[in-house]
Amino acid sequence: MLFNTPIFFLFFIVFLLFYGFVFLQKTPRLYLILVASLVFYGAWNYKFIPLLVGSAVGDYFLALAIGAAQTQRAKKLFLTLSIIMNLGILAMFKYADFAITSVADFLQFLGYQSSLPTLSWVLPVGISFYTFQSLSYTIDVYRGDMQPRKGLVAFTAALSFFPQLVAGPILRARQILPQFHKLPVPTWINVKHGFLLITAGLLKKTIADLLAVPAAAAFDTSGSVSLLEAWTGVLAFAGQIYGDFSGYSDMAIGLALLLGFQIPLNFRLPYFASSPVDFWRRWHISLSSWLRDYLYISLGGKYSRYRNIMITMLLGGLWHGAAWTFVMWGAFHGLIITTTHYLSSINIFQTFIKSKSWWVKVIKWGVTFYLVLLGWVLFRATNMDSALQLLHDMHALTASVPVAGVAAGLILILTMVALALMHLMDYFIITKSEKIENKPWLFWSLLILGQTICLMIGEPSSEFIYFQF
Amino acid sequence: MSSSTSSSSPEHGSIVVQNTRKIYFKILLAILIGMGISLAFVRLFTYLNDASGETFLSRVLQAQAALPTITSEPDDLVMFYGSSMTQAGFSARQFDRELAEAGVEIKSFNFGFGGLNPLFQDYLSRRIADGFKQNDRKLKLALVEFNPFQTTVTRRNGALEVEDSFISLLASPQELREITAKDPTTGARMYTIRYLRDGVSAEMITSFFAEPFQAPRPRTELIEDEKIVERRDQLGNELNERFEQEYPDFDGADWSYQWQGAGTIPEERSAETLEVFTEFYKTLRTDYQLDNDRLSRINSADIIDLDFSEVLVESFIQIVKNFQSISDHVEVVLLPKNTAWIKNPPEAMQRMQQVLDRIQTETGVVIRNFQTIDEITPDMFSDTTHLARYSGDVAFTNFLAEQYKAQLQQP
Repeated sequence: MLFNTPIFFLFFIVFLLFYGFVFLQKTPRLYLILVASLVFYGAWNYKFIPLLVGSAVGDYFLALAIGAAQTQRAKKLFLTLSIIMNLGILAMFKYADFAITSVADFLQFLGYQSSLPTLSWVLPVGISFYTFQSLSYTIDVYRGDMQPRKGLVAFTAALSFFPQLVAGPILRARQILPQFHKLPVPTWINVKHGFLLITAGLLKKTIADLLAVPAAAAFDTSGSVSLLEAWTGVLAFAGQIYGDFSGYSDMAIGLALLLGFQIPLNFRLPYFASSPVDFWRRWHISLSSWLRDYLYISLGGKYSRYRNIMITMLLGGLWHGAAWTFVMWGAFHGLIITTTHYLSSINIFQTFIKSKSWWVKVIKWGVTFYLVLLGWVLFRATNMDSALQLLHDMHALTASVPVAGVAAGLILILTMVALALMHLMDYFIITKSEKIENKPWLFWSLLILGQTICLMIGEPSSEFIYFQF
Repeated sequence: MSSSTSSSSPEHGSIVVQNTRKIYFKILLAILIGMGISLAFVRLFTYLNDASGETFLSRVLQAQAALPTITSEPDDLVMFYGSSMTQAGFSARQFDRELAEAGVEIKSFNFGFGGLNPLFQDYLSRRIADGFKQNDRKLKLALVEFNPFQTTVTRRNGALEVEDSFISLLASPQELREITAKDPTTGARMYTIRYLRDGVSAEMITSFFAEPFQAPRPRTELIEDEKIVERRDQLGNELNERFEQEYPDFDGADWSYQWQGAGTIPEERSAETLEVFTEFYKTLRTDYQLDNDRLSRINSADIIDLDFSEVLVESFIQIVKNFQSISDHVEVVLLPKNTAWIKNPPEAMQRMQQVLDRIQTETGVVIRNFQTIDEITPDMFSDTTHLARYSGDVAFTNFLAEQYKAQLQQP
């Protein structure tokens, strides 16, 4: 059930009718959220509901056990159980086949003929998001960052909360659980901001779907493409993934605001980043902060910094998908982040890094954006060979003619306009939303305009990219 | 941003409940009014662009509307069902005249439609079957065109953007309910398209806007003679004028009941008009025009290599079954091929034969391949696929009359 489909609209209207008019006491409302979330999740595949509920129930009781444990050893045991359960689920459903085929390929590389049986299990949608979210709760309780909370229904409802269940943002228990214990009534200010975010999200998703076509033209071609088409394709994918994922996040935050819940920002103008480190402070903030807090710091943080960054980014890449292209993407980002840190520590670069001059800022932005684009090639390519081919095509100054002829140049311009437009939209939402929301004629006109565009050219059959992770 | 919270005090609780209802009433109202206005703007846009289900499926809907009249005809009924090749290649009244001369009183109808691949034709054939069953009528003979290049993967891919829209318009309420039960997401989308968007899906509007950005289709390297182009334009204008003079009462229908779904017949036209037509078609059959048309068909329908779509083949089998349920006799027919321009390699012909064998096995229907009959020559086509009016269509219709005369003479 995608946010940009008529069926979700119907689902949400029905949910609002019950949530706003029928179930007005706390406990029935929690049950309503839980049931609605399970219906929402079950619309993809109801067979995975027990996995989601089981994961929630398991972590709920393990957190209680950690909280009640008298010794550090016992706490550690219960946390280990939680980690094994959550990562075990992920490993079985997401990584088992990748591991098996990789072993088989390696054996073949060594000269052994092998055909190892694979599991071929269906990947439950949103599994990477809710396992990380659930795991953060037990880790927080173990670290003493929060006390375990009683209320299984509240915890399960929070974990399966439909606006953010399948593609995040990855919420921390300490952010969301208290809200589920209070069930706040939304204020009209929050509601208006929610509407603005939902409309912005729908628009971004619409733009992302349009950009999918030129992106596919570059990435799904078997041979090489022209320089123009290669850059158009890569820029289009940069726009597609940003519009798709940040659009989903915006809608999730907006929907939650309509219900009175506050979910933190997940993207902050990522392509305006001035360094790879800065990029990860702006892109998928809930994942990067999760990886920082629960993996990078657990590994030792700044002690053996470069090693820890590389491990964190490699696993971050693997989190996105069970394929070597994602591992390479993670490794690439690990490499450019460590390089940035290394260069920052060299005196000769200090002046450059600290400079406030506009041309230095432009250079830093340009280099960062270029590196991010190179990373997207690894991320989107179906295999390493085609990734290398496209990376080559992006830098091959040959005279090959674009297939789309004169339209190719126009598509490149439109792609860049789309990228700029999405960032402009985000800029206004982050910095000027209050002003816009205080001018009713402007606010409602923009909303109607946005909705009209989405209804007119939205493609509701297109899945969100991040659902596969 | 701030948010208020609920409280355990009964008095305060009552205020919270009131506030809750108030705020959710405002939220619901804003959503419904906002969506209503947005949808109205979409409808305004499609209206201003003359885009609606009716304009896209005009001929189909008119033919569908004629079903009650068709089924109340006293004579035995014949229907030729197929693509635009049937539309251009079968002259219903010519067929009736030929058979009447042989003492067979029947009424035939041309149900050939351009732009419908077998997936859509399947839904339409179900509506035809519904119409006949409701009126307890049967067709004496149903000829169902198997058009190889309408059944390819390329052809289906080219129509993906209209799929939801066409199916939502052609499906019965019961079928829409079944689609919804099977896949609520698709079902809800189809209901929206049919009842709120006037048959125009978002994908259709997107593809309309995306048209200028498509890679140009391959074009011939041959050069068109400007004089021929000029002459063709002159003749086209002359034919339009002559049509208005000779048919002053024509109501402009896409599917004319008066003409039984086909076009006019030579006997109604003056000798001068027929001469103009002959010259007009000659100007259409230049190497430039035909090569361009061939390349266009390769690009849009894979007419040479014929990589068949499983979904479309399956749909075609269903079409045959639908007609078998309302007909005394059903035959699958392959229309003449312009062999001067369309030359399929042996592998393509082999693939086609496999599909035909499968259709025969699964339906038991008789398949008649008229692709290379002697009666039709390349100069009887208006392009690489369609038979020309007053030459190709008459010759093929007469050929069909001869083929089916004996069968239709039987009681």
